Amino acid sequence: MVEIHDLVMRLRSGDRVVTILDGISLAVPARQFVAITGPSGSGKSTLLGLMAGLDRPTAGSVRVDGVELGALGEDALARLRLARIGYVFQSFHLIPTLTALENVAVPLELAGIPDPRARARRLLDDVGLGERRDHYPAQLSGGEQQRVALARAFANEPALLLADEPTGNLDSATGAQIIDLLAARHRERDMTLVMVTHDPALAEHADRIVELRDGRVTADRSNGAGA
Amino acid sequence: MNRFAVWMAWRETRAAWPHVGSLWGVLACVALGVGALVGVGGFAADLDRTLGREARALLGGDLELRSARPLDPATEAPLGRLVQRGASIARVRELVGMAREPTRGGAALVELKAVDDAYPLYGRLETAPAGHAGARLGPTGALVQAPLLARLGLRVGDPLAIGAATFTISGVIEKEPDRAAGVFSLGPRVLLGAAGLDRTGLIQHGSRVRYRALVRLPDSVDARATRAALAREVADPSVRVTSFDEAQPGLRRFFSQLTTYLGLVGLVGLFVGGIGVAAGASAFLRRKLLTIAILKCLGAGSRTILATYLVQTLALGLAGSLAGAALGLVVQSALAPLLAAFVPFEIETRLAPAPVVRGLATGLLTTLLCALWPLLQVRAVPPALVLRWPVDASGLGRRRPWLAALPIAGGLAALALAQAGSLVVGGLFLLAAVVALGLLGGAGLGMARLARRLPWLPWVAWRHALRSLHRPGSQTAGVVVALGVGVMLLTTVALLDRALGRELDLERRREAPSFFFVDIQPDQADTFARTVSAASGGTARPVLTPVVRSRLAAIDGKPIVREQWEGREDAWRATREYALTYAAAPLPGTVLTRGRWWTAAEAATRPRISVEDEAARAFGVDVGGTLAFDVQGVRVEAEVMSLRKVDWHSLSTNFFVIFSPGALDGAPTTYIATARIPASAEPAVQDAVAAALPNVTAIPVRDILERVAGVLDRIAVAIRVIALFVTGAGLVVMAGALAATRAQRLYESVLLKTLGATRARVARAFAAEYACLGLVAGIGGVTLGALLAGIVLVWVMDVPWTFEPGTLALGLTLTVAVALAVGALATFRLLGQKPLPLLRRE
Repeated sequence: MVEIHDLVMRLRSGDRVVTILDGISLAVPARQFVAITGPSGSGKSTLLGLMAGLDRPTAGSVRVDGVELGALGEDALARLRLARIGYVFQSFHLIPTLTALENVAVPLELAGIPDPRARARRLLDDVGLGERRDHYPAQLSGGEQQRVALARAFANEPALLLADEPTGNLDSATGAQIIDLLAARHRERDMTLVMVTHDPALAEHADRIVELRDGRVTADRSNGAGA
Repeated sequence: MNRFAVWMAWRETRAAWPHVGSLWGVLACVALGVGALVGVGGFAADLDRTLGREARALLGGDLELRSARPLDPATEAPLGRLVQRGASIARVRELVGMAREPTRGGAALVELKAVDDAYPLYGRLETAPAGHAGARLGPTGALVQAPLLARLGLRVGDPLAIGAATFTISGVIEKEPDRAAGVFSLGPRVLLGAAGLDRTGLIQHGSRVRYRALVRLPDSVDARATRAALAREVADPSVRVTSFDEAQPGLRRFFSQLTTYLGLVGLVGLFVGGIGVAAGASAFLRRKLLTIAILKCLGAGSRTILATYLVQTLALGLAGSLAGAALGLVVQSALAPLLAAFVPFEIETRLAPAPVVRGLATGLLTTLLCALWPLLQVRAVPPALVLRWPVDASGLGRRRPWLAALPIAGGLAALALAQAGSLVVGGLFLLAAVVALGLLGGAGLGMARLARRLPWLPWVAWRHALRSLHRPGSQTAGVVVALGVGVMLLTTVALLDRALGRELDLERRREAPSFFFVDIQPDQADTFARTVSAASGGTARPVLTPVVRSRLAAIDGKPIVREQWEGREDAWRATREYALTYAAAPLPGTVLTRGRWWTAAEAATRPRISVEDEAARAFGVDVGGTLAFDVQGVRVEAEVMSLRKVDWHSLSTNFFVIFSPGALDGAPTTYIATARIPASAEPAVQDAVAAALPNVTAIPVRDILERVAGVLDRIAVAIRVIALFVTGAGLVVMAGALAATRAQRLYESVLLKTLGATRARVARAFAAEYACLGLVAGIGGVTLGALLAGIVLVWVMDVPWTFEPGTLALGLTLTVAVALAVGALATFRLLGQKPLPLLRRE
C-alpha cells in the first residue's frame, strides 16, 4: 500500500540544516496496522505527513497504492488524499467555524457525494456523537472532538488511514475509546492503518511496530498480539 | 464554481457574522466609494434627463437663428416659408446696458432682453404679480429681477431709466425659461417690449446686440431636418442655426466635465476603499491559515479554497456596494440643490437604474480585483502547516502571485478608463494615480524601513511606536497611501480655491481696472473722460481705445463658408463679431511670438495686422498670410505681420486682431475704456457715467469677479463633498489596519502593563505611532496636493502657482490630528483590559 524508499527530509533552522529523516525505507502492505513509535523529535510525524503528501521530501520517494507522490502537483496530491487517504491529527484540527456535522461533511462535499449531510449524520452516529452534531468544536470535549475528527477521516472510506498521535491530547480512558474505534474500523473495512504514537502500550494494538530514532528505523518487528 | 465553495463561503460568513466588527471596515470601504460613484452618476443622469426634457424651453424654441446683426432678407426668406407651413416665430434682442434710478441717479449693469408678444414659445415666464408678459411690457413696461430692485432701492410701479427712455417696473421676473442664470451672468435681467428697446436708443452702430429668432415648428415638422435645411439655405456663416437638442452647449459641457471629474474623484474613493479591501482580505487570510491547511489535508485543491474565499469576499463586496448605492442616492439628492443654481429649472432627483448598476458593478469588480492579490496566497499555504501549528504560524511563504499582478492592474486601469469616458482623461488619471501610489507607498515603506534601522531611542514611547510601524502585518504603507490620497485631494481643492480666490480678488490685482466702459461714441470721449475724473475726485484717468466692429470674411483669400466651420468646437471663432483696434506701436505687455511689429512706412503701404497666436492657429494663418474683415459692408484685407501671445487673465483690454494705423480710417468707431478707481468711488463713477452718458455701459470688474468666485465656490463645495468620501474611506482603511493588529497590540499593552507601564505610557506609545502615520501621510498628501494644484493651475488654468505654507501646514496638522483621533478611537479600549485573564489564555 505504501512504499518508501531512501526518504530524506532536511529542514533549515536559522543558519543550520537539521536532518529530520535520514534515509528511511519502508513498505506497508495493504490492510496492515502499523504503529510507528519513537521518542519526541525522532521524525515520526514528518514521516506520516510525507506519506500523505503534506510536504515534499528532500530526497527519496513515497508511493501510495502504486502512485509516486513526488510526481504529483499540489492539487493532484489533494485529490489523492480526498479519494484514498484519511488523516487524524493529535490536535484534532477541526474547522472552528463549522459544526460537528459540517466538519464531517467537508470531505463528502469535496468529493461531490450526494446527500453528504445524511452520510455525515450516520458517520457521527457510528462514533457515538449523533446527539452532538450541531455543536461547534469549541463546545465539544477533547475526546468528542477527536471522535468527530475520526468520523471525518472515515468519511470517504479511505484505503489508507494515517493517525498522528490520535490520543496524545486525551486522558487514557478517552484515548482507549479512540484506539478501539480505529482498530474496529481497520478490522471491518480492511483498510491500511499507520499510527504514530510514543506510547508503547498503544503500539501493542498494531500488527507491526516500527521504531524510529534520529530519523532512522532502529527496529521493525511484527507484533503477534496485534489487533 | 463548485458547490462546495458556495457552501463553505456561506458557513464562513455565518461564523463571522457575530463578529461583524471585523467585516464593517471592508463593507464601509466599498460603500463609501460606491456611494460617491452612484451619487455623481445619478446626478449626471438627473441632469441629462432634465436638460433633455427642458431642451426646447432652454433654447426658447425648436430652432434658433442667432446673429450679431439684424437678420438680412436672405435669412428672413426661409423663415417666412416656415411660417407659411405653420411655424411661429418669436423675436428676441439681447444686450448689456445700464439701468438707472431716475431721481437719485443710482445705476446698475443689467442684461437687457427685448421680446415680442410671441415670447416665450416654450416654457413659462413666471412673474410676480403673475400675468402675460406681452400685456405687462408694451412700449413702457419693464420686468426686472429682484436683485435689481434691491440694488437701486426700487419697487414694482417705480420708474426705471434705460438709455434715453424711462420705463415703469411692471413686475418681478421669477423664472425665465431660456436663461441659465447661475453661470456667469453679467447682471440682473431686465425684460422690455420690442418697442421699448427701440425707445432707449441703445441700438446704435457698434453696440453689441444679439438678435435671436426663435422658431416653434408644428408637430409634423422634424426639427433636426429643418435645421439642416436652414443651415444650407442661410448662406451667412455668422448666423448660427441651432436645434433644441444642441441647446446650451456650454452648459452641457460644463456639467459633463464637472460630473466626469467628480466621478473620477469618486473612483479614487473606491480605489482607496480597495486598499482597505486588500488589507482586510490579507488580515482575514492570516486568521484562516490553519483552516486552509486543514482543508488541503482533507483533499481540497487551492482553486476550491480560493473560490470559497472569493465568493465570501464578493458577498461582502455586494453588501458594501448595495449600502453604497443607498448612500449614493443621498449624495445624489445633496448635489442637486448645490449645483441647481446653474440651470433655470428644477433638477428632478430620480432613482436611475443605470448609475446604480454601474456603481454596483464597479464596486464588485474593485472588491474582486483588490482582494484577489492577497487571496491568491491561498496557494502558498502548505498543508504541512497543520503539523507545525501553532509553533510555525507564519504560514505564508515568500511566494507572491506576481503573475496575477498584471491582470489585476489592467482591470483597475480599465475601470478608471471606463469611468473617465476618455482615453486622455483616463490616462492622465492613471498616471497621477501611479505617481501618487508610488510616492505615498514609497514614503510608507521608507518609514517602516527607517523605523527598523533607527538607533536605539531613549524614549520608550517612540521606541515602541517605531517597532509597531514595522511589525508583521502592520500595513504601514497601505495606511499612508489611503490617508495620503484623501489629504492630497483636499489639499488640491484648498490650494486651487486659494489661488483662484487670489486671481479673483481685485484688491490684490493692482494692475487690473475697476471698470470696463463700452460703447462710448466718438463725440462722447471728452465728456466721458471728464465725468470719470470728476466723479472719482480726480484720481482716475481712463484709458480709451478705439474699437471697430467687424466680421471675419476670408482667410488667405478664401471666404468663410458655413460648411467649413459647422460642428467644430471653435466655430465661434469664425462667426463672432470681432472688435478690432489699431495701434502704431505694440500695447504695453505685448509678447510677439512670430514676426515683428510694423514700421510707420510699412503701415502706410497697406493694411497690416497682428493676430493672437491661438486664433492664428485656429485660422491656419501665419506671418505673411492674410485675413479679410467685413467692416459694416466694407471689406478690409490685411497682411499678418506678427503673432502675439495674449494673457486673457490680465484683465486689461485685449484684442484678437490689431490693425496698423490708418487701415481702419473712416470705419464706424466707438471707444472702450478702462479705469482703476478706488473702491469707495466706484458707485459714484458708475452712477455719474450712467447719468451723463446713458448709452455707455459700465462693467464693474469687482462684481464680475465676485460672481465668478461664487460659481467656483459652489463647484469647490461639490468637489469637497466627494473628496470627503475619499478621506472617509482612508480613515476607515486606517481603522481597519489598526483593528487587524488588535490582538498583537492587546498582548503588547498587557505585557507592558504587567511589566509596570502605566496606561498613560502605553497610550503615549500608541499615540506616537499614529502621529508617525499621520505625519508621513500628511507630508506625502500635501506635497502631492501642491504638485497636482500646481499642474492644474499652470497648465490647465494658466494661473500662477504660489507657495501657500499656511494651507500646507494646516493640511499636515489636521492629518496628524485626525490620525491620532481615529487611532485613539480604534484602540483606546485596549488600554482598559486586565492583564491576567489574557495572559492565562496565552
